[in-house]
Amino acid sequence: MAIFNLKNREIECKIVYYGPGRCGKTTNLEYIHKSFKKQVAGEMVSVNTEGDRTLYFDFLPLGLGQIKGCDVRVQLYTVPGQVQYRSTRKLVLMGVDAIVFVADSLVIRREKNLLSLKDLQDNLKEYNLSIFKIPLIMQYNKRDLAKQGMPLMTIEQMQRDLNRQLKVPFFEASALAGQGVGATLKECLKLTLKSLQKQTKWAE
Amino acid sequence: MDIKNQIKALIQEAELYRTQGLLKESKTKYKAILALIKTNVQIQNRENLLAGVRKKIVAIDTEILKLAKAPSVIEVPEKIQDLIKKQFAFAAKDEDSGAVEGAIALAKFGQFDRALKEFNLLLDKDAVRVVAAKNIIRCHMTHTSVENAVAEYEKWLSGDKFSSTQLINVRSFLGDILAKKGITQVLSPVPEKESSSALGKAADEELQEDDYLDISAIKITLDVGPQKGRSLEFDVNFQSGNTLSLIISSRDKSLIENLDVGLKLNNVQFFSPIAIFEGTGIVAEKTQIGTGPKRGDYSLDIKILSTN
Repeated sequence: MAIFNLKNREIECKIVYYGPGRCGKTTNLEYIHKSFKKQVAGEMVSVNTEGDRTLYFDFLPLGLGQIKGCDVRVQLYTVPGQVQYRSTRKLVLMGVDAIVFVADSLVIRREKNLLSLKDLQDNLKEYNLSIFKIPLIMQYNKRDLAKQGMPLMTIEQMQRDLNRQLKVPFFEASALAGQGVGATLKECLKLTLKSLQKQTKWAE
Repeated sequence: MDIKNQIKALIQEAELYRTQGLLKESKTKYKAILALIKTNVQIQNRENLLAGVRKKIVAIDTEILKLAKAPSVIEVPEKIQDLIKKQFAFAAKDEDSGAVEGAIALAKFGQFDRALKEFNLLLDKDAVRVVAAKNIIRCHMTHTSVENAVAEYEKWLSGDKFSSTQLINVRSFLGDILAKKGITQVLSPVPEKESSSALGKAADEELQEDDYLDISAIKITLDVGPQKGRSLEFDVNFQSGNTLSLIISSRDKSLIENLDVGLKLNNVQFFSPIAIFEGTGIVAEKTQIGTGPKRGDYSLDIKILSTN
């Protein structure tokens, strides 16, 4: 949950990048770290294991400066995507204010996307949060692989699979090339700050 | 598509999956290639192709095995442990409880040695001594051994840091864990002279430890009055020890009237980040908010009486 210091007019919030293993969550953060140097407020920390798979989390702090009179800081996290790290995902999700769900566009990963979304919903429930109410953005990653002739799901199919009921904003992306990464983050920040403003009425 | 191009496309796909780290998917594709080659005897260099694909599958299997054997818990550098300690201590009410939460976070991330170090430092703080002691026991039970956990208790028993009340509390906790594990370990008793009056106090302190559980929401089921049977969920606005403050909208007049000071709530669910538990509470205070954006609404204090 966001930390508000209304006396000092400071807000700190947490965004978690979620999704199945190897979908591009860490790649998103790496791109943000490389490309948004002005906003990056510290080192990117990665705790990973064999094959550069995230083991605990990636962490990247951002400073957005003054927004409506408040100094806004954002912490970006990723979770490990492999099935066996459910308890770690749940830990990292603690105190989350918003989520970017990174889905893998490869046809062969369709089921993993669905399982991961269900996993997210279950973990949020354990914190008494609803996937229908928390600020959430969908990112359909790896769209560039179509050029290499790889079988990808259409956006329509991914929307049907993942966003039919949620109806949240979605972005096509190729995190490796940085396409869609900034737009995803920007929209997520917008939704997050709107939600926080509603909770605290800090801008009034 | 002719067979040659089909195989070429499958190899391309298999290789891409492999470079993406999708090893099982890559292996599946290579096996499909193998099956395709086997059923097409007229393919040029068939044997070389089969050998090449088999070699790829072996390499992928090796990689899969390497990943499977990789440790699921690793000791991270101190800088990252500091980050875990700082970033995963949520809504701490004060410095000491923040330190406890940070140390618990370290343990949850498998940083047991560092967690033990932090908990041991916290033994010097009276307010969190018992919580720290219990977590030291938990760490040892998970990370080192039952013997180490018992040895810690015995060390505290022979020292002068803990009061008798605190030792009874810790002994009871350790005893329960050992019993649940089916271990018949006899724990040295706490000296008798304070034990009987201390038992009652220990029960209170036991309840107070739950203060350190950050309760984010509660669900009350009313069992008296005109709204009997109605279940309501509230976010906890503020928590101080075992007292939870909620906000009730001024629009819910009947509820406000129903929840009078002194009303015992026999059916309460408490939601914390790590557990949901049931218990009882009492309406301790009810105040109408006079200023600010919530003016007109009511602030309700619920004191936790017991938990299951």
